[in-house]
Amino acid sequence: MVRYLIPVVVIVLFFAETEFSLFSPIEWHGHLIYLVPRFLILFLIFMAIYYDRKKAMIYGLIFGLINDIFYIDIIGLYTFLYPFICFIAGSTVKYIHQHLVVTTTLSLALIAVLEVALYQFFVLISFTDISFAQFLNTRLIPTMIANVIFIVLLGGGFKYLLEYRSYQRANRSIL
Amino acid sequence: MPQFLNRKKVIFLIIGVILLVALIGLSLRDRQNASLPEKIVKDTVGFAQSIVAKPTNYVTGFIEDIDAMINTYEENKRLKSRLEEFGTLQAEVNELTVENKRLQKLVGKQDSLRKYDPIQANVIARNPDQWEEKLILNQGSNDGVKLNMAVITAQGLIGKVVQTTPQTSEVELLSTSNTNYRVSATIANKKKETNGLIEGYDRKRGELILKRVDSELSVKKGDKVTTSGLGGIFPKGILIGEVTKVSTDDFGLTKLAYVKPAADFSMIDHVIIAKRGTIAVDGVDGNNTNKAEDATKDSTTGAGN
Repeated sequence: MVRYLIPVVVIVLFFAETEFSLFSPIEWHGHLIYLVPRFLILFLIFMAIYYDRKKAMIYGLIFGLINDIFYIDIIGLYTFLYPFICFIAGSTVKYIHQHLVVTTTLSLALIAVLEVALYQFFVLISFTDISFAQFLNTRLIPTMIANVIFIVLLGGGFKYLLEYRSYQRANRSIL
Repeated sequence: MPQFLNRKKVIFLIIGVILLVALIGLSLRDRQNASLPEKIVKDTVGFAQSIVAKPTNYVTGFIEDIDAMINTYEENKRLKSRLEEFGTLQAEVNELTVENKRLQKLVGKQDSLRKYDPIQANVIARNPDQWEEKLILNQGSNDGVKLNMAVITAQGLIGKVVQTTPQTSEVELLSTSNTNYRVSATIANKKKETNGLIEGYDRKRGELILKRVDSELSVKKGDKVTTSGLGGIFPKGILIGEVTKVSTDDFGLTKLAYVKPAADFSMIDHVIIAKRGTIAVDGVDGNNTNKAEDATKDSTTGAGN
């Protein structure tokens, strides 16, 4: 049964993302601020670090593709960015200590990278005309705050689940 | 120092990037029509999403209810003050409706641009990265939804349908920054009507920009803006908003007005798709009109320019 836990978590997070985005944008002091839920990629970053980089990249590819088709109709954007982020996350394993605080900080930095990359892409194809400062204030910072709350609440759980799985796998390979 | 990327990986990466750029280019070119595999994915995910969306809609509704409850006292006071005014207005409207019907019968005019069949729809998802202002609804072409139909809430117009699959449809909101997005509008005050086009959204003011209004006609602050029905598929008379500021456009030839939208674009959970009763005609303006097979573009050529 535990085998299916990771795919189930990934699917639940994928749907949770859209459902949470129904609550955004929020009006705050006369400005509209956008909170972008990035639950799925946060989980995949954790997966790349604690479990398996290759599997994380495959999940990233599949769900990036679904995201592209279902929401933005530009195939290739998330399909590239999700596995790319997972790749970077997985590559850092050798160089950094895998403490929860370090991983959380790293994953948030990667979310920021993802957001900025998306912003640059949409500026490039002129889907948006907001300035970088505006992007920073109305999107990036609120998004980071919202995702910090999410990862602080659930990061420990993710780590436990993924480490448990890799522990199981290690046991199986010994037997 | 371990080697970060070996040669095989580099080649794989380069081919991948080239493929993706090609894919992005291809899918950017034609975003109004979904291909068959895209439709299948959209419908499958849409079906799952509509199940997940039910509890969320419930929660959103609950929050709105609480919000409404908090404001009850204030609102009640305000509404009471307008009640008297409303009574006389109601009488006037009734009289006018009867007269209008009689006159229409006299002239032999059967269908009106105002008439539409409502298709009720639930919002099942909102684009999570929110770069584009898009909603996904649980009604698709099987339910009679067509491209460019008007989408409204109880408060007013919120957007139009930009893509349909058999089970779902995608709505682009009025607050989009897409420059090809136009809605033909009418500004009405007591004396006369003027036509214009809603083109663009001012993000700082949070208001829509109404362009191409004849500069000889008077437009004042507080005038109501509604859809004109001249664009081909939108019904006439759906409230868009209220004029807040009037100025001239960049070239000084036509007037430009800022319109405060009547509908709220956040926390939308239930919408109505307006299927016009009168036959929709093909528009000629805009670059995506003729590409979409059975689509009509909501824009007009007779709008003050």
